[in-house]
Amino acid sequence: MAAFVVRRIAAGALLVLVISFLSYTLLSIPGLDVGRQLLGQSASQDLVDAKNAALGLDRPVLVQYLDWLAHAVRGDLGTSWFTSENVVRAIANRLPVTISLMAGVTLVTAVLAFLLGVWAGVRRGAVDRFVQVFSVIGYALPNFLVTLVLVLVFAVHLRWFPAIGYVGIGESFSGWLSTVLLPVLSLSVGSVAGVAQQVRSSVIEVLRQDYVRTLRARGLPPSRIVLRHVLRNASAPALAVLGMQFVGLLGGAVLVEQIFGLPGIGSMTVTYTTRGDIPIIMALVMLTVIGVIAVNLVVDILIGWLNPKARIA
Amino acid sequence: MKRSATAALLVTASLIAGCSGPGGGGTAGGASTTLNIATMTLPQSLDPKDANGSALPFFQAVYDTLIKREPDGTYSPMLATEWKYDDGLTELSLTLRGDVKFDDGTPFDAEAVKANLERFRKGGGAQAKTLNDVKSIEVADPTHVTLVLSKPNPAMLYYLSDAAGLMANPKDFAQDDTLKTRPGGTGPYELDQGRTVIGTKWVFTRTARYWGARLPYDTIAISYFDNETAIVNGIKTGQLDAALIQDADQQISVESDPKVKTVKQEFDFQGVFLFDRAGAVTPELRDPRVRQALNYAIDRRTMLAKIRQGRGAVTSQVFGPATAAYKPELDTYYGFDQAKARALLKEAGHESGFTLKLPRIPAIVSDALAASLQSDLGAVGVKLVWDDLDPGSAVQRIFRDRAYSAMVMNMGQSSADWVAVGEVVLPGAFNMFGYTDDTVKKLLPRIQGSAAQDAKADLQALNEHLVADGWFMPFYRMTYLHVSDGSVTIKPQDGMAVPAIYNYAPAQ
Repeated sequence: MAAFVVRRIAAGALLVLVISFLSYTLLSIPGLDVGRQLLGQSASQDLVDAKNAALGLDRPVLVQYLDWLAHAVRGDLGTSWFTSENVVRAIANRLPVTISLMAGVTLVTAVLAFLLGVWAGVRRGAVDRFVQVFSVIGYALPNFLVTLVLVLVFAVHLRWFPAIGYVGIGESFSGWLSTVLLPVLSLSVGSVAGVAQQVRSSVIEVLRQDYVRTLRARGLPPSRIVLRHVLRNASAPALAVLGMQFVGLLGGAVLVEQIFGLPGIGSMTVTYTTRGDIPIIMALVMLTVIGVIAVNLVVDILIGWLNPKARIA
Repeated sequence: MKRSATAALLVTASLIAGCSGPGGGGTAGGASTTLNIATMTLPQSLDPKDANGSALPFFQAVYDTLIKREPDGTYSPMLATEWKYDDGLTELSLTLRGDVKFDDGTPFDAEAVKANLERFRKGGGAQAKTLNDVKSIEVADPTHVTLVLSKPNPAMLYYLSDAAGLMANPKDFAQDDTLKTRPGGTGPYELDQGRTVIGTKWVFTRTARYWGARLPYDTIAISYFDNETAIVNGIKTGQLDAALIQDADQQISVESDPKVKTVKQEFDFQGVFLFDRAGAVTPELRDPRVRQALNYAIDRRTMLAKIRQGRGAVTSQVFGPATAAYKPELDTYYGFDQAKARALLKEAGHESGFTLKLPRIPAIVSDALAASLQSDLGAVGVKLVWDDLDPGSAVQRIFRDRAYSAMVMNMGQSSADWVAVGEVVLPGAFNMFGYTDDTVKKLLPRIQGSAAQDAKADLQALNEHLVADGWFMPFYRMTYLHVSDGSVTIKPQDGMAVPAIYNYAPAQ
């Protein structure tokens, strides 16, 4: 297992390097005139050229990339071209917002999806149909619609929750909870629906297996069979889906952060990408890639722990 | 057991809801001490040399300008108490306040003015060009400084009340990046570093020893949003106190809330800039009759009704109502007359029409606008082809390659005539082919060389000529909405889309 983890981390590091190079080259398409974007449409061409030169954009892309890489490995990710903020600090300021959302959604999904999935898989019949219908609706409902309805009803109309903004967990726990609850709920609908389906089918599949019949024949209480044996075996595929959902959340977070005016990584990605702020975008790309690699690794380890058959030597 | 768990959940939920409530600005009944403003502008930095357009409020909190621009566009003393031109209008003498200090105790004086203006002019910022006509700055004594101009510039007072006039502490000039995130001026507020998250929320707290009049708020917080939906929700719930709403649908949404207070302002106009009046890219545009035909071909009233939901006023001129050049009758100079358009095209020898290719940036040209222009022009035989571009490559193709003969633009209408002239008539970014004609050549020096009040007739003559000769194809001025949650009174700032920070006061 240790060798597996080391191998995965080494492969991950290589992947980060390759992706950083590809991203930098793609971001440096010549049409993206950063100087012009910074100075506005009315600036003279000389001024724009001088600005681009000051940012080092007149150098070959490879030189720019190597320069960026040399600084990045030393932990210096530079400053934003568009707001002059330190990149590391800028991301550190916004990361807690997005992590709050992702952790919240993952927790809600893990609890609700497993409950619903197991309930449907074990009980079948009407309960199963209910969960199935819920899943289809939850999955099909556009995220923005769910978010807008939640904001308009619970924040703007009923005033139970703030409509915009974020309070840090260190500042006030209840403030934090009230600002992340609606965004987490709106992101959870699709996530719970997807994972619950997966849990349900895994549970049904495991229940059909011979050893379950044997356990039943031995007279073990059904609750013990489900909790000790079925759930453990059915968890692996569901965990894989949960891991994918976690990674995919970043996409959903963009919209939710925009509607709730949350200063997180998602809305940051949109704002800075449209402007072509390479120092910030590169840092965000690196963060995302490392995050995806880490989540996959954790999911693999968890699956291996749950299911010895899946363990890799 | 189950019931108690549910009860506990409910209690927790109500607790959360109760303590959070909509936080923020307006404390009911009492005097509000924090003003929460929402913005969709990101300042590039808080260094005055980077100051630009809608980012000005960020700078006004920390820096004073030499001259103050009042909401109605008139000038009043700020760091300079008096100003005077010589007879040739090339020397502008300023008398400065003698009792002002920067935050660190350094006195503000004429040398500081000289250092700031010289740095601004050479700083490479977007507005550096506004001081192009300044030849030298001469310091007579600590409270007297003279700007020597290479030629008269009727907009100089405007610039000194805008970005160019922001005065920073010259002690911070040595380290080039200090001011970007740690501004230091003589202004009414200081940036609260601890509560500020650059790029998200900037918090300014009152400077106790400010030399000037006390502004009504102890704290001003400016929060950045990338969409108007969040801003409108924030205003409706009182989490935000004030904002500018541009989108017509969002305006309607926010107006439906009875508590929300609104003030209308016409600032930007939208229209086609026909850059290529010499016909370098599209030869047909060389003939004024063709440019006039384009103007007659479009149905401005329908466009305004459909695209801006009637929020604005049709116009055929590029000068705004606050300028001396403005003539109300020019708003309707070009009626919707496609027969006349066809006749003009026929007269110009283009009876069978021609093709006009325009760049399309979706943020400016909506689907509705694209379709409307295409069908109106198509009806008189002009085939409009849209070139879909992403904003990045668009600026390159338009401004560097000069690949298009015209483009649809939204542009703020300055109240200062010479600022407007500089943007749209003089050779530059928006007259990228450097086009001029005899009438313009005759009028410009006269306008430039006379005091503002004497130039009115020439300015109006210039405006009439630009309209009649079809330099532009304006559609309408757009109504913007200043909104507040009811706790703030907002005065629109003449010549700016966003109000100056001096223009907010607690509602009575």
